[in-house]
Formats: sequence, C-alpha cells, structure tokens
Amino acid sequence: MTDVEIRSEEWLDSARELVAQGWWLADLCGVDRMHLGFDDRFGIAVQLLHRERKERRTLHVAAAGEPPSVPSVTSVWPTANFLEREAYDLFGIVFEGHPDLTRILLPDDWEGHPLRKDYGVGKVPVDFVKQPFLQIQGPGQGPNTIEAQQEVDGYGQTAKDGQS
Amino acid sequence: MTVSREELVGRLEADGQGAFVEWFDETDERMVINMGPVHPSTHGVLRLLLTLDGETVLECKPIIGYLHTGMEKECEDQTWRAAITIVTRMDYLAPFFNEQAYSLAVEKLLDIEVPPRGKYIRSLITEMNRLSSHLVAFGTQGLDMGAMSAMFYGFREREVILDFFEMVTGLRMNNNYFLPGGVWEDLPEDWERAARTIVEMMKRRVEEYEQLITENPIFLERTKGIGAITTEEALALGATGPILRATGYDWDLRRDMPYDAFEDGLSFSVPVAAEGDVYARYKVRIAEIRESTKLVEQLIDRMPSGDHKNMDPKITHPPRDELNRSMEAVIHHFKLSTQGYTVPPGETYAAVESPRGELGVYAISDGGSSPYRCHVRDPSFVNLQSLGPMARGGLVADLISTIASVDPVMGGVDR
Repeated sequence: MTDVEIRSEEWLDSARELVAQGWWLADLCGVDRMHLGFDDRFGIAVQLLHRERKERRTLHVAAAGEPPSVPSVTSVWPTANFLEREAYDLFGIVFEGHPDLTRILLPDDWEGHPLRKDYGVGKVPVDFVKQPFLQIQGPGQGPNTIEAQQEVDGYGQTAKDGQS
Repeated sequence: MTVSREELVGRLEADGQGAFVEWFDETDERMVINMGPVHPSTHGVLRLLLTLDGETVLECKPIIGYLHTGMEKECEDQTWRAAITIVTRMDYLAPFFNEQAYSLAVEKLLDIEVPPRGKYIRSLITEMNRLSSHLVAFGTQGLDMGAMSAMFYGFREREVILDFFEMVTGLRMNNNYFLPGGVWEDLPEDWERAARTIVEMMKRRVEEYEQLITENPIFLERTKGIGAITTEEALALGATGPILRATGYDWDLRRDMPYDAFEDGLSFSVPVAAEGDVYARYKVRIAEIRESTKLVEQLIDRMPSGDHKNMDPKITHPPRDELNRSMEAVIHHFKLSTQGYTVPPGETYAAVESPRGELGVYAISDGGSSPYRCHVRDPSFVNLQSLGPMARGGLVADLISTIASVDPVMGGVDR
C-alpha cells in the first residue's frame, strides 16, 4: 500500500486533472481499511488506465466522516455511476453529488453494508449437540431441540462444545 | 377513442406476458413498464424499467442485483487458493478468465513466476473459452430475434469445447483449474488430438454461421443501425471488449498489455468495426472466433514442455508420490491443506481481456492466508451502463437484440 492517498476534498479536482491527462477510469471500489493502518477507516481504491502510455495506476481516496463520504466523479467519468453505487451499497460510503445514489446489488430495505469488516459472513451456526435418538413423539414432530437453543458464541460454538 | 387509465392498465396487465405497468401518464401517453427480471430475452435475471412512448423507448434503466450472492465477501473468508472456487463462479460463461485474472493478481503479490508451459496452457484454455463464450453470444443473439437454428448451431459446437474442458479439468463449468503459479494439473495424454479437432471444426463451422446469419436480410434489418453508440460514449461509459471495438476503437489487452503466453508475441489481429451498432458487435464477435481459432492453433504448435505450475513447495502441494518418501513434503502438504500459504502485504490490480471486455481483479493482502479484499471489475457489470444510451430512441423489439449484443452475464454483473 505504497500509493499516494488523496484527501476527499481534493479528489474531484485531481480527477478533472487526471481526465485531462487522458486517464480512463477502469475500476472504483470501496475498501474497509480497518486493519491496514490508515487514518480513516474507509476509502475508495481507484484503478486508472492510460491507453496511449499503456500504463496503470492505483489511487486511494480517504472517505472521512460519519457516514464516510467522498465527492462523486460521475461528472468526470460517467462510468463511475454503477461503481459508486456498488461502493455505497456494500460499504456505506456516500458519494456527494451522485445523480442516483441507491442500493444497486442488495434490496432497498437491506440493513447494514455487508462488505464492512464488522459485518459477519452470515454463517448460520450449526450445533452438533447430541440429539436423543428416535424420540419423535407423533407424526410431523421433530426431535426435541430445546437443548440446541443454548447460547452460541461468535464462532458458532456452544459453550458445551468448548468444554468437551 | 379515449381509454381511462385504469382500464388501460388493467388491459395491459391482463394481456401482458411478464410486462407490468408501473405508471401511466394520461396527458402525454408516457408509460413506465417493467421488463424482467424473468424475461427469457434478458439473459438471466436482468430487470429493465422502460419509459415508453408507444413503442419507442425513451428511457431504459437496468435494475440488477437479483443474483447477488456476496461472492466478494465470501472470498475474504477463504484461503488464497480456495478463493478461486468462488471467483470462477462469477462470469459463468467464461470461468477461466476469472481464474486467470485472480491468479495473475495473486502471482503479482507473491512475486512468483509461472513456468512457460503453465502460461501456454492457460492461454490455450482461455482462448478455447473465448470460443465457447462467443458461441453462446452468437446463439442467443439469433435466438432472441427468432432465429432458433443459430442457437442449435452455436450450442452444438460449444458442447464439444466444454467436453474438452471436462477432459482437461474434470468439469464442464466452474472449473477451478488455474491457480496462482500455473494450472492445477498437466494436460491429459490425448489433449493435442482433441484440441486440433476443435480447431478444424471451428474453421469449418464459422463459415456455416456466416452463411446462416450474416447476410440474412431479416437479421440485417433488425441489427443494422440498431442500438448504436459512438466511441466517445463507449469510452465515457466504460464499455470494453466487443462493444468498444465495434465503435472503431482499437484496444485489446492481449495485444496492448500482454500477459501469459501473449508476452511471446503470438500473431493475431484485433477485429474492429466502425458502426457501433448491433451488427458491428456481431461482426466483431464472429471475427474474434476466427482469431481465437488461429490463436489456439498457434498455442498447440508452440506448447513448451516442462512444469505446468510453479513447483515451490511453499505455495503448491507436493506431488503425491513424494508424500511417501519425504517428511518435508508431508509437512508442506499439511500446512497448505490446513492453513494455506500467506501472501505478503500489498495491493495489486490485474486485468485480462475476457470475451466481454476488461476483467480485472483488485486484491489486497494484509499478510494473512486469506484475501483482505478481493474486488472483481466485471466487464458485464460496467458494460450494462451503456445499455441505456443504446436503447434510447429505439423500439422495444430492438431493445431485445441490443441486450443480446451487449451479452451480459448476470452471474458476473451481480457477483
């Protein structure tokens, strides 16, 4: 991560400069830099391509504030439209001045931003608790699962599993 | 004759096949209708919100996300090696390109070399994959416009190529064959005969396709001048691949920023068309089928011998027979199987020319054994933005052939 980091206030101006120099926006994605040692937790990583020079460049733009926000570059590179919506959807980074900043991949009523590092992977804890063998009482009734409804820690393990 | 709004909407909903009127303006007769997400011509689960004036499309807004399964998040939960099994499922018509871009990115981070045979096998397989992917594009382009035999022809040859993939990798799709450092296993014994059969078959069959469709008056009527965009629009909207080349812009990553076997200077040309319409995109794809056939032939001829992957025991499993003899091999095998290898901290972006355009993988490592962030720039996702300008001002019937010519793969769009 040696590349220069641009502050969000300067991003729109430097984007205008870059597009004048002939840089084409290849990719833009959000990054949660919780464990990477940046000052601001969120940022966007921008991939640029210069077709005449056959050169690529990676830029980082810090998204400061709460909610983290960055100016939108859709006016400079229209291709940023979907990419910024994706970063908003998955990271909650707000792009100021975006024409249609709505969720793009997830449903509109989704809560949270799943690619943040503090958002779980969505694993359903599976308990390997000993079930009584063949104790189904009547038709349409499963085995007694009261034992399975005990407390589960972050790894999906019950306290009982840890002891044994 | 005037019709009340309720009556019209009711009638449309009753008669409409999958169309659903979202909104109807009585004063200027504008109508917003919903097309998809389960419309057979939308190539998966693409939903379009169309603003119509009669039959004319005034606005076309793609709504995506129906196939989103959080693959980028899942990659962060896998080891670097195992994330390929996720990445390969993104663009399911061109799975090898996902694997290749991802492997190139991880190789850059690890700073390892791929032996020449590994590079050539990768390029051979991806060029075959380009053939099979373009055959689907050809088939569905015909199918969407009522030429069903085009689909029969295209899928017939695709099946032969998928059989070759099955022979090499064990699976028809979602192959999980490439890995950082090369390919998982060497080509099987009889690969050369099988590959040459495909080359001979494609040389002959591509002429058949041309006879079937290229000069067909109905096809010409429905594709020429339809869904056209200019080079400036395509560049501004980030379109790559056949869409960009069909507008007359000469850009191909295989030639301009070579990777794998293309570094050795294979001879091929980059097909370009000037019009930027559906027909131009079709022509570019057919010409690319020809070029890829040539490339496959060259790659077979020049296939070097040697290792098929980087044999560094720190990143690749030791050969099976060594496990019986060497304790180190057992230790390496155990470490790789349980924990995987660690990748030095850093970030990288690697891109390949997939059948749909620039497919890039942006990977960040924090020094651990799984990706910190793995973002895939899927060409279908970005190309879909140009669907709006393409459809504007055209008819709904033309929109169908425009979608087919953009050739989006929803697995890649939604990831």
